[in-house]
Amino acid sequence: MKPFSFTRSSIDPRALREVLVDPGCGGYAAFEGWVRNHNEGQTVTRLEYEAFETLAEREGATIVAEAIAKFGVEHAACVHRIGDLALGELAVWVGVSARHRAEAFAACRYIIDEVKHRVPIWKKEHYSSGDSGWVNCERCAAHAHEGHTPLRMDYSRQMALPQVGAAGQSRLAAARVLVIGAGGLGVPVLTSLAGAGVGVIGIVDGDRLEASNLHRQTLYALADVGESKAELAAQRLRELNPEIEVRVHACQATRASLPELIADYDLLVECTDNFATKFAVNDAAVRAGKPAVFASIYQYEGQLQVYDPRSDSACLRCLWPEGTRDGLVGNCATAGVLGPVPGTLGQLQALEVLKLILGLPGGLAGEVLLFDLLATRLVRLRAPRNPACRSGPCARLGPDQTTAEGASSSDDVDLDCDDLASACRSGYTLIDVREPEEIATAPPPVDCLQMPLNALLEDSSVLDAGRPYLLICARGARSRALALELRGRELTRVYSLRGGLAKLADRVVS
Amino acid sequence: MKQLTVQYFALFREQAGSSQESITTAAATPADLYQELKSRHGFKLAPAQLKVAINAEFAPWDASLEDGDSIVFIPPVAGG
Repeated sequence: MKPFSFTRSSIDPRALREVLVDPGCGGYAAFEGWVRNHNEGQTVTRLEYEAFETLAEREGATIVAEAIAKFGVEHAACVHRIGDLALGELAVWVGVSARHRAEAFAACRYIIDEVKHRVPIWKKEHYSSGDSGWVNCERCAAHAHEGHTPLRMDYSRQMALPQVGAAGQSRLAAARVLVIGAGGLGVPVLTSLAGAGVGVIGIVDGDRLEASNLHRQTLYALADVGESKAELAAQRLRELNPEIEVRVHACQATRASLPELIADYDLLVECTDNFATKFAVNDAAVRAGKPAVFASIYQYEGQLQVYDPRSDSACLRCLWPEGTRDGLVGNCATAGVLGPVPGTLGQLQALEVLKLILGLPGGLAGEVLLFDLLATRLVRLRAPRNPACRSGPCARLGPDQTTAEGASSSDDVDLDCDDLASACRSGYTLIDVREPEEIATAPPPVDCLQMPLNALLEDSSVLDAGRPYLLICARGARSRALALELRGRELTRVYSLRGGLAKLADRVVS
Repeated sequence: MKQLTVQYFALFREQAGSSQESITTAAATPADLYQELKSRHGFKLAPAQLKVAINAEFAPWDASLEDGDSIVFIPPVAGG
């Protein structure tokens, strides 16, 4: 028996099977392809097969030989009908015998798949409408793989949860979530929400991708460096789930832009890396009465907080009433981070978002979670709402800087200066706010008062409200934050050296 | 004197060199305790910049400490 042959008469599988019987074989697998009564929505009445026989036989024999070699089976054969076939007739037969069943099944599957792809056989279908059409079997196979039946998202694995079900899936589809920041926290939030089928996802991020983002922001690719992160993330999410709507807001979230940005969304997820934006998002969420999920990380640790206006939960300002400025905590050295730390916190944010949308129990509103992922330590703290806010809106909202009044006193806090000695001569008192050990390793170019940031924060009574001060630090972040803080304490003539000593040194060199 | 457990996160963990310690103290309030630990470990933040929790609940700086209390000092963090 030839390994691959054509026949114009009907195939008898029982006779063919006999050829493959072997006392050394423990298993036999066969496949039979039959003429079906429908294809792509049309009723099929009969079939014609035509083949380029010499070429087809050679290619078919090659496939059978490949299967024997690849799976180590003892015997294999394939017979294909050509000519006219009636409904239900056997069109193709594959038989394999082997020592064990696994390789028999695998080889059988391989042969039929490869024959459909590679052997030049054409099929003419005759339909009940009187029409007919040629169908190349290879094209048939490609057709099926490329999803002629359009692919649909399948949420069955989450809908199987009794708390989700079809009703929960509809709630997800109806939800509109704004994710602010598409970085270390934002990436896991975005992918989880898109996968879950959240109907509308907005992405706010004004930054472009940098190579240093990729170790933790694995939605992106190295070739994407320099592109808009919001655009890139949107593109990837649309590939992941084409059935949801993804909106791009390639801009920074600021006090001015947030009220309009959040207007079309029901829920906010704060995923940025700075206090200014975190408090701005908090204030916008509280003003608009929308829930918000916050997370922050520091090296191997993270904090998670959920604000939900529907429950009596604390907002960021209940915990941090004074607000907290970037530069006032931490140190100048950029804190490092391992990818799974924001990854974990971001996934927890996504989980809290799903809990809020689905109304699941166990939401974190009213609590703050502290994680130490190096020690795998979790502390869950109850965070009561500020009592002064209980009867109405938050009593500690920051200034609404969409109004001119709110933007006032911080505009001129940064002072450009090439020459500290001349600043000194024009009446400024210079204060180096760095730590003593920093000053020891890199002393300032002129004599300055030395008052570490935290000492001044604790007690600023040594400063005189009427006098001008120029605060100096390494890069201008801490001095700026401190100057802003001190201005809030009526010290209206406190300035910060823009860019710090680093910028000054650059200018001297150039 | 009372026996307290103190847990540290983020900057405090770095500055204290451990994530938890048991201490015997005469401190009556978290404010007193923080001053004591500040001089011992060289903590730099002023109390106004951080939060304290007693037995898993955020507490005011003038709350009274009891023997056996578990204290957490929490600095704000912003990374993302």
